[in-house]
Amino acid sequence: MIEIKEITKKFGRKKVLNGVSFTAEKGEITCIIGVNGVGKTTILNAIMNLTPVNSGQILINGEKIHKGSYENVTFIPDAMTMLPQMTISQAMEFMQDFYNTWNQKRASEILGFFKLKESDRISELSKGNKAKVNLLLGLAMDVDFILMDEPFSGIDIFSREQIAEVFTSHLIEDRGVIITTHEIGDIEHLIDKVVLLDQGVVLKEFNSEEMRETEGKSVVDVMREVFKA
Amino acid sequence: MKMNFNKRDPVYTQVVRHFKERMATGMLEPGEEIPSRRELANQLKINPNTAQRAYKEMEEQGLIYTESNQPSKITTNEKILSSVREELITEAIDMFVSSIRSINVPLDEIIELITEKYEDESNE
Repeated sequence: MIEIKEITKKFGRKKVLNGVSFTAEKGEITCIIGVNGVGKTTILNAIMNLTPVNSGQILINGEKIHKGSYENVTFIPDAMTMLPQMTISQAMEFMQDFYNTWNQKRASEILGFFKLKESDRISELSKGNKAKVNLLLGLAMDVDFILMDEPFSGIDIFSREQIAEVFTSHLIEDRGVIITTHEIGDIEHLIDKVVLLDQGVVLKEFNSEEMRETEGKSVVDVMREVFKA
Repeated sequence: MKMNFNKRDPVYTQVVRHFKERMATGMLEPGEEIPSRRELANQLKINPNTAQRAYKEMEEQGLIYTESNQPSKITTNEKILSSVREELITEAIDMFVSSIRSINVPLDEIIELITEKYEDESNE
């Protein structure tokens, strides 16, 4: 489990996160929803300790984050971090050299799943295929938790569908996933937990299936209620 | 298997209903193997935990059964199968009756219209 407890982050005078708390379980997909600029990415960066928080605590499997925590978590940013002149296979080799959690077998499988060609150069890929390579590089790691920043943002519908398929497949297995999005759209039925974030504050945290069962409300219904206030 | 979900009912109850419909129409036969929870999640594009929940519910209602380490199968219990059919029919009729009642149509006329409609559709 990843536990976020009362974290606060200031950039200059601006409080980007203001006492954010929620949990993300293994075997569940947790979705942080909020419009752009409300602190979604900052939360992921904080979990990775790329942006150290000013106060509050982050626990991964019950332990405070430390260097070793990152054998257990991988972060997939919303933009490709590999050099554009690399081929997909060079990018994979790079990851293999750099991370001992890299699982080459799974990487090859994902390559097939996304119908990508190893010899293709990153700079020559479509936006959708770039997003898939980006996802591949993270998903291929043997870790308990995967953080994805806006995996559906700005790509075509077919790529979106293919990426959504990852969530129902064994590629996720029983891992814990945290994704951020500003648009719930076609993934409403894929997620377990919703965290609604606005101006650095968690307005509501709920299980989407439970919400449908007990209150007969869709995720979008709840978003309308909570965000318009 | 394809399904259109509505967004406000729990997904697992929609999945259970979908299975009931297919059982009642014979598209799923007694004793037929059903997909694993992962396969079902993949086919219907739903969360695997939800697929799991739907299977648990169906198991509790006796609609499916699982023998040790085998894929789950549709029940062969006649009593359960006929009660599924009955349940779906009753539900459809309830819905029909409550909407037609508000228009105040005499029963004879309704029966006549239904018979006509039925014959039309089976001729098509």
